[in-house]
Amino acid sequence: MRRSLVIILVLAALMVFGVIYFALDPSSSGLFPRCVFLSMTGYKCPGCGSQRAIHALLHGNVIEAFKFNAFLLVAIPWIALCLFAESRRLRNPSLYARLNAPLLIWLFLAALLLWWLLRNIFNW
Amino acid sequence: MQYWINFNGVQSGPVDLDGLKEMGLTSAAYVWHEGLSDWVKITQLPELQGLYEMVETPVQAASEPMTQQAGQLAINTTQPYQPQPDPAEPCPPTNLVWAIISTVLCCIPSGIVAIIYALKVSNKYREGDIEGAKRASETGAWWCIATIILGILTMPLGYLMMAGGVS
Repeated sequence: MRRSLVIILVLAALMVFGVIYFALDPSSSGLFPRCVFLSMTGYKCPGCGSQRAIHALLHGNVIEAFKFNAFLLVAIPWIALCLFAESRRLRNPSLYARLNAPLLIWLFLAALLLWWLLRNIFNW
Repeated sequence: MQYWINFNGVQSGPVDLDGLKEMGLTSAAYVWHEGLSDWVKITQLPELQGLYEMVETPVQAASEPMTQQAGQLAINTTQPYQPQPDPAEPCPPTNLVWAIISTVLCCIPSGIVAIIYALKVSNKYREGDIEGAKRASETGAWWCIATIILGILTMPLGYLMMAGGVS
């Protein structure tokens, strides 16, 4: 009962955000939050471009979304898989343990830090 | 299929079904094969049924009838082998997804700490330290929450300092 309520609330929130990010363009609208890390340091954070990427993705522009934040695009299917495994952690512990293997987390962390470094060097 | 055996604390293998049959195992043995996340009791694998002797207590398979005294002695000296981690205990939440989401969407680098804690949970779980994994899981969850709160609190700063582009 509590679980289904949480799922409904999360889906509703996703729908609201989906409509907002579809209707308004973060590139031109002043309503969207700006990256604090970029504002303070002048360097991009790993998530910079996520809002524009989500807007592009909702409009079906995968290539454009990739240009805004390539890492997010690659990470989305993986995050979805991890969320699925998380919802079945107690029923299917081996899937959860395999997806959360130390090696995979290490690889993700390395990829994230590399992405952060490279995007600031090459201005991705 | 190749099987690894853990019987009375002694590990052996790999053996195939025929080899396993000849080992004189009892129902106290643990087995593992590729695809299993951990050791399981031999009784849990239906394909191995009939290849081991059923015993009530993890006593070494006795070839000669035991006297009452000898039986008790065997029970006292043979510790039931408990592989770690207990297969029944699932991995505590690593919070990895939330660590990733808070790192990528909140612009606050403290999410990296949450990812490192996810790694710690996973490592400790592998080592069989369930308690340590649970502690790391809890600490990691707090780092996720802190990152999200910090991200929301610092949002106005981004509006004020329009130096950068849109996030």
